[in-house]
Amino acid sequence: MGNILRGPRPPRWRTVKVVVRNTFRYLVGGAIRNWLRNFGSTAPALGSMTLLLLLVGLGLVGAVVGQNIANTEARDASVLHVYLRDDATTDAVNALEAQLSGNPDVQSVAYVSKSEALARAQNRPGLPQLADAAESNPFPASLDVKIRSVDRVGAVDASVRHNPAVDSGVPSSYDPSAYRRFQQVLFWVAAVGIAFLILLAFIAVTVTANSIRAAILSRRDEIGIMQLVGAPRWMVRGPFVIEGAVTGAAAGALSGVLALVVCVFAVQAGASSFAQIAPGLTLKAGLVIGLFLFLAGPLLGSVSSLGSVRRHLES
Amino acid sequence: MADVTFSELTPLVEFVGVNRVYGQVVALDDCFFRLLPGELSFLVGPSGAGKTTLLRLINREIKPTRGEVWVDGLPAHDLSAKRLAELRRKVGVVFQDFKLLPRLTAAENVAFALQVTDLRIADGEARERALDALDAVGLHDRAEHYPHELSGAQQQRVAIARAVVSQPPLLIADEPTGNLDQETAWQISTLLEDIARFGTTVLVATHNMEIVHRLQRRVLTLSAGRIVDDQPAGRSARLLWATS
Repeated sequence: MGNILRGPRPPRWRTVKVVVRNTFRYLVGGAIRNWLRNFGSTAPALGSMTLLLLLVGLGLVGAVVGQNIANTEARDASVLHVYLRDDATTDAVNALEAQLSGNPDVQSVAYVSKSEALARAQNRPGLPQLADAAESNPFPASLDVKIRSVDRVGAVDASVRHNPAVDSGVPSSYDPSAYRRFQQVLFWVAAVGIAFLILLAFIAVTVTANSIRAAILSRRDEIGIMQLVGAPRWMVRGPFVIEGAVTGAAAGALSGVLALVVCVFAVQAGASSFAQIAPGLTLKAGLVIGLFLFLAGPLLGSVSSLGSVRRHLES
Repeated sequence: MADVTFSELTPLVEFVGVNRVYGQVVALDDCFFRLLPGELSFLVGPSGAGKTTLLRLINREIKPTRGEVWVDGLPAHDLSAKRLAELRRKVGVVFQDFKLLPRLTAAENVAFALQVTDLRIADGEARERALDALDAVGLHDRAEHYPHELSGAQQQRVAIARAVVSQPPLLIADEPTGNLDQETAWQISTLLEDIARFGTTVLVATHNMEIVHRLQRRVLTLSAGRIVDDQPAGRSARLLWATS
């Protein structure tokens, strides 16, 4: 037995090189090899994780759109458009403008002519076709009244809606419950969405953890030997955590690309339709969401695997 | 050197009042013993006497319910999970069913054990040392054979080579000859004796009393979880070796 000899230690740089190569081979190489070998048991985890991440991505798209709509609504809520009759005289309009300017709740008043209203409409998504379709200018002249506080919009509206210069059919843009309704809808959509995503995350983590458990069981002999000969704990557990991260990375890449495709489609479709599909959504936002999913995938995969490894790999 | 007595050597393994209980069953009860460096000892007793439990306590596969287990200065009874690998690198283990990886050759099985415990070992060095270990157990010409291409005795030799390739101070073997005929069992036993001769402490749990009688080494007898007999053997010869 005396001839099992250890030779002289090699130079430090060579030792470092060997350590890096061995670490990479056992951790990353082993994980990828096992991932490919166990693809059958990994596929459900990959599918559920991709679905989860894709829904997270779509949720983020929805959040971007919702945030933009909310910002626009909040901004618009403090601006009251008082629509003028087509046959209103200049004196009547001037009198109304003076009345509004004298109101302490009003910050500013601006006159918008019929032609300016048409020009504005032509710059808004979806409306150019509508504006072009009409033979005459359908947009009324208006006074755009900036109110100091959103709470006072109703009072200002009440003071002018019966003025003879104001259109009796649609006197103003004021809708007392629209903004509140919108906020409530946004809140419930977000709450239901988050609950659904938590449920889906639980399913994805469970499925991933089970696939790692299956991988542990399929390699229990090798693991047992590694543990018995004294392989460090990180070396026994590491490949499984990386295997989960690889599943997560694949799911992240798939869902990131799909989310980006959805964004591109929404932006293109929104630009060429009457009603904008996803206001505020840009390609840049789509890229950021795709990148987020790509990074979130490995994190989700490795965390799920770590949980499974801690549970199923005894020391 | 001649004035050093056997009892003055620092024990490599020490059990102090060790008790291990599984539910209502007492597997080991109040065990005290020491194993000295380079000592070959046999652990005998009927099935269920606690032999495997005792070996598993040394390797910290299980913890004692009460008492202390010391292995080469490490408290196996109180070792954190993070330090388990440190303990296990000091203990080579041989099983009755060999536990070789079927997709690796004999040399790869031995090199695998070496490299997963020490990442500084390059492929070339690992292979060289694996071949040395296989040579030492008489299997140099079978290095490229897969386990299914080897006989039971040859597989056990590979398992022994794997256990000693990193030169641990202690080797424990649980029924290493249990699956072998008497002749090959004898060959394995002499191999274990050789390993002890080169300074490794060896503890062998066995039912094979013929080998125990032929080798005339220390014998610990377990019965119902208690060490009922500790029979020393060849004391003067072993002392001569241990102090040389």
